[in-house]
Amino acid sequence: MFKELDPILHSQLRLAVMSLLMSVKEAEFTFIKEKTNSTAGNLSVQVQKLKEAGYLDVIKQFKDNYPLTTCSVTKKGIDAFESYVKALQEYLNAGK
Amino acid sequence: MGNQPSFNELDSLKIIQQMINTAKKEQKDDGSGWIIWGWMLFAASALTILNMQFQWFQTFFFWNVFGAFTLLMGFYEAVKSLFYRKTKKVKTYTKDIFEKLNIGFFISIMLTIFSMNTGVSPTKGFPILMNLYGFWILIYATVLNFKPSMIGAYVMWALAFTSLFVGTFQYVMVLHGLGVLCGYIIPGYIAKKRFNDQNIGQE
Repeated sequence: MFKELDPILHSQLRLAVMSLLMSVKEAEFTFIKEKTNSTAGNLSVQVQKLKEAGYLDVIKQFKDNYPLTTCSVTKKGIDAFESYVKALQEYLNAGK
Repeated sequence: MGNQPSFNELDSLKIIQQMINTAKKEQKDDGSGWIIWGWMLFAASALTILNMQFQWFQTFFFWNVFGAFTLLMGFYEAVKSLFYRKTKKVKTYTKDIFEKLNIGFFISIMLTIFSMNTGVSPTKGFPILMNLYGFWILIYATVLNFKPSMIGAYVMWALAFTSLFVGTFQYVMVLHGLGVLCGYIIPGYIAKKRFNDQNIGQE
């Protein structure tokens, strides 16, 4: 019986955001937008979903009158990502 | 990047791999810091050897110039980070380690230089400095998984050990310059070349 893939992570952009943030300590919204090649609106919605799931910490502040959003992965996010990768491996091994 | 839900497991793996590779690029060092620092140390060693040969100035003249220049650069960096602080777009664990490592390295170097000004003989003080370079280089190389610097660190230690027994300061300077060449300058140029090659390949 295969584990079901986490629907929060099984989405292109959300998975890209999580994969990127897994490798760094924290990143600004603009950095994530640039690296995932996404639009600000779409990214903002997906980051919000990850935040609501408890996978991301999002800190919003102002710097020189400009909004500055910084994101980092939470412990729950790390666990979810690891489970997702494990489940992926099971699927791929079964397909061999 | 779109957001269609119909992508499969292989697509997931590709995204994960692609994003990890993107993050990895942030952790690369282009070697320019090693090259500048290396040439500064090398120039101070070489000029001291020439100075001792031709008796232009007092023996440590070029090391004093080097020290003053380093302190000025340190002061400039401190002022820049205090008053013109730029937020970094991304913070990596590697950069965090390097920041702390550099602070520790700077304090240790200053303490060793201070000890040379208060009684420790420079013929023994410089091997201790080389020992510190070796330690710093090995940690940097290990974090970045960069073999040329790992080799450079061991060469530096071998030369530091040898220079404990050469006796004259002029020979200590020769070994110091050689150590800097193998530990900083050569690995720095290799890192720079690899960094540029990778960037060209990814364009």
